[in-house]
Parts: sequence; C-alpha cells; structure tokens
Amino acid sequence: MLSFSTFALFFLSLSSLLHAKSSDGDSVLVVVEEVHQKDFTIFFDGLKEQGYELTFRAPKDETPVIVEHDVPAFSHVIIFASESKNFARDITPQSLVELMSGGTNLLIALSQKQTPLSSLASEFSLILPPPGTPLVSFFPERKDPPSVIPIDAPASSLILSPKLAPIWFSGVPHALGSNPFLIPILNAPAESFAADSDGAADALVDATEKGGEGLWAGSQLSVATGFQAIGGARATWVGGVDLFSDKFAKKEVSKGVKSGNTQFARDVAAWTFQESRVLRIDSTTHHLVNTTTPLEQYTTNDNIVYTAEISVYNPQTSTWEPYSGITDLQLEFTMLDPHIRTALPAVPGQPGKYSVTFRAPDRHGVFKFVINYKRKGWTHLHSSTTVALVPPRHDGYPRFLSAAWPYYAGAISTSVGFFLFSAAWLAGESRESKKAKKAQ
Amino acid sequence: MPPKSTPAVAEPTSAVQTLWKAYNEQTSDRLKFIDAFLVVLMLSGIVQFSYCVLVTTFPYNAFLSGFSSTVGQFVLTASLRSQVNPENKNEFKEVSPERAFADFVVGSIVLHFFVFNFLG
Repeated sequence: MLSFSTFALFFLSLSSLLHAKSSDGDSVLVVVEEVHQKDFTIFFDGLKEQGYELTFRAPKDETPVIVEHDVPAFSHVIIFASESKNFARDITPQSLVELMSGGTNLLIALSQKQTPLSSLASEFSLILPPPGTPLVSFFPERKDPPSVIPIDAPASSLILSPKLAPIWFSGVPHALGSNPFLIPILNAPAESFAADSDGAADALVDATEKGGEGLWAGSQLSVATGFQAIGGARATWVGGVDLFSDKFAKKEVSKGVKSGNTQFARDVAAWTFQESRVLRIDSTTHHLVNTTTPLEQYTTNDNIVYTAEISVYNPQTSTWEPYSGITDLQLEFTMLDPHIRTALPAVPGQPGKYSVTFRAPDRHGVFKFVINYKRKGWTHLHSSTTVALVPPRHDGYPRFLSAAWPYYAGAISTSVGFFLFSAAWLAGESRESKKAKKAQ
Repeated sequence: MPPKSTPAVAEPTSAVQTLWKAYNEQTSDRLKFIDAFLVVLMLSGIVQFSYCVLVTTFPYNAFLSGFSSTVGQFVLTASLRSQVNPENKNEFKEVSPERAFADFVVGSIVLHFFVFNFLG
C-alpha cells in the first residue's frame, strides 16, 4: 500500500514536471508553412510535452485568426514562416505589435530576404544587414558551408541553461539599437561577419579597402535577442529558423558531442513564453510605525512602514512562490519627483516580503509609493499607491516649545507680579486706613 | 531743591546723586513701590527682547505675547502711577485713587487674558 502511494506520488510529481506550463497561458499559434512543419518536430513535440496546445496555421491561411473580437486568441505566437513574403491579412507588423501590447508573447525567426517581419524588426531597434547577406564564418575549420556556424553559448546568461554545448546557427545577424528593453541572448562569434556566402572573401577585401566600413562583423552582432515590452509581453527574435530545426538539433558539434540547439530552443521558449524569470507583486501595504492599518493620508514627518510581497513563477509546479532574491529593489516616495528613494530590502525570515521604514518628507501634497523595478530578463515590476501627505492639524503641533520658555516665563512672571503688586497695594491701603483711623 | 555751591562740572555724578537723593526724600512709599514694579517689568522686557534678538524669534507669537504683556503691564502701571500721584490731583479731579486702582486691575486682567490666549 505504502509502495503504491509513493509510486502514485512519484507519477503525480512526474506528470506535474511534464505539465510545466507558462504563467501566461498554454495556447500557442504556430505560423509555419505546412511543408516545413515536420522540420521542427523535436522543438514542437518538446512544447507539447510541456503542456502547450499548439495550433498550426500556414502563413496565408485566414483561420484561425489571431485576434478575435479584439481579444488575442492565443497566449503565444510562433512565426517560423520566415521565407514568406505575403501573410494573411491579419498578420501584419501592426497587428503583431498590437498583440504584444495585449500581452501576447512572440517568437519570431527572421530570414535573409526582405519580408514584412524585417520592417517589424526595426521597430524593435534591431538593425538588420542588407538583404541576402547571412552570417558567415570560416572558423572553426569544418566541413559545413561557412554560413552554418557553431556558436559557443555565453558563459553566464539569464535566459540560457549553464554549460550549454555550442549551438548551430544559420541565418542573419542583427545589430542592437539603444533600446533598453532589448536583451541579447546569443551573440555572433567574433570572427564572423555578414556577407553574401558566395562572395564572402570579396566582401572582406572590399571592406578592408574602405577601412572596415560597412562590414557587419564581430561579437557585437546578435543572432538571438529578447525584448520585453512595458506590459510584460516578451518577444524573441532569432536570426534563422534553422536553429530550431531537427537537423541542427541532431547535428554533432564535434565527434560524439550533440549540439546545444534542443536545450537552447527550450530555454528561449521558456523565457519567451513567460515560464522563467517571471515576477509579480502580490500585494503592497503601508502603515504608520507601530500600527497595522493603512491610512489614506499621513502627516508630514510621520514614520511610515511600506511592505511589498513579491512572488516568482515556478514552472515546475505551475505555482507562484514567495521570492526574496531581489537585492536591488527600491521604493520611491514621489510627488512629481521622488522626494525619497530608498532601498527596499527583503525581510529576513519572511520569504517574499520586502519592507522599509522611512520618515515622510516635511512637505505636504499628494504623494505616491512607487516600485519601479526594471531589470534585463526579469519581468518589470511596477506598483504605485497614492496617499495624501498633510500638514499637522491645528492641535497636532507641540503645545509648548522649549525655545519659548523665556517668553512663557516673562508672561507668567508679569501676571504673578501683577497679582503680588495688587495684593501688596491693597494691604498697604488697609494699613494706611488703620493709621488714619488711629490718627483720628 | 536749589543746587549746592559745588560746581556740577567738577563732580559729574553729583547731579545723579542729587536726583537720587531728592527722589528718595520726596517720593512717597506707594509711588516708590510702583516704580520698583516698573523697573522689574522693564528688566523682564529687556531680557525677552534680547533673547529674541540674540537667540530666536521662534515661536513668534510667544515672543509677542510675552513681550507685550510686560509692555502693556508697564503702561497700565505707569498710568496708575500718574493717577494716584498727589501732585497730579488737579489733572485727575474726578478719578479717585481707588477708582484708578480698579481701572488698573480691570485693564490688567483683560491684558493677561489676551496674553495667555496668544502665548501657546
């Protein structure tokens, strides 16, 4: 019986592992030509195993629509139809941007050719080389054509698993603009450059004559780049669709060593579909020191406690777990400008809780508690709570000030002096009248 | 009192001394008592004013009430002094010393009422 229950538990945990799901939803639309659908079975089967529901659609099909009644019909969209120049009416750069602002995640593969997606890429601050110039590299020496390149995974990455085997890549590189929401995932090798694969050597010679001008080369180029919109939707741009293909996944990097493509694709999908590096603010609260109820207005110079609870999504169990790992969280107390910007440290012993006590500024007005946490790769956290900061009430000021004691003493001594003076005066008067009586 | 034969230049303090002597001899005890109170009030006012100038005017309302209480009391007491002075009898024919004192008391009480309202 015991063995059965442990067995059942084991299977239960196994099934939960298999059904690791996105924090954003499970429906995925895959836009791919039917001919190429079977080229990516390892990647697609991996997604299905994880619990995603894949819906396939050829680029020119009208159905299923991606936006139905102004509501995105899918949580994620994969566009592998990189060669198509024409898409159905509802797949346009504009509609894809709208999808992203609606919270849909995008995984897009680019091609060497000029397609509608190329113009969309420039909207994301990705600068593509001229059409028809893929990335080529003659290093390391290998039998493959120069445009099929093994790229070493970065030593440390927010998105990729550690110790990833080199990744086969074939496609276009892109330079990155200054957009702060871009997250480079995989950079081109240092000795690679973008050129027409037939005349690669000529391109190099030409560029050398011009002092290197116009040559797309070096490790500053990226071949896979993430983008996280303000709303939290994520988009990943990959220079070539072959990276996800079965052919590259099975291709050996060196004898006996399988390429890292399978794991790379999984990691990229996990990040893009909001499985990994997903944070959220569960709740925020504020109150005076030594109390517990939040107030709508505070008085200037009050000591205020602000507390935020933050969770991270755990794709293994599909649950949100308290997360205390953020070390650089900040709280701002702003009225137009932050009057106070202070660290918001994790409370030791209470997972997921961040708290700080600070003194409100000596300035009344409508203030906001603002958490604005934007770090590359992580979900952006934003929280804003408005409170009024009022001056003390007429009876809220200290009644007697130590600086004023000379004045109090002066006023009191005058009154006492007046009293004594009057008493002495009256006493003197009665004595005089007695004297007068005696004299009479 | 006629000046004495010694010249004032030779002894500059003699005028003050003479004044002091004349005051001691010619002023009644009652008026001296009033004058003592006036001196106390003046000293109190000087202390408060110098504190205000040298240290702080904050809180200003406390300074105003403290200082004006001494000034006000000084004015009321000075009026009392002029009214009860027998030499001024012709000036205040219809004001008896008792009436003058009663006026002084009422005025002072009103003054102190305002002072303590304004103090804190």
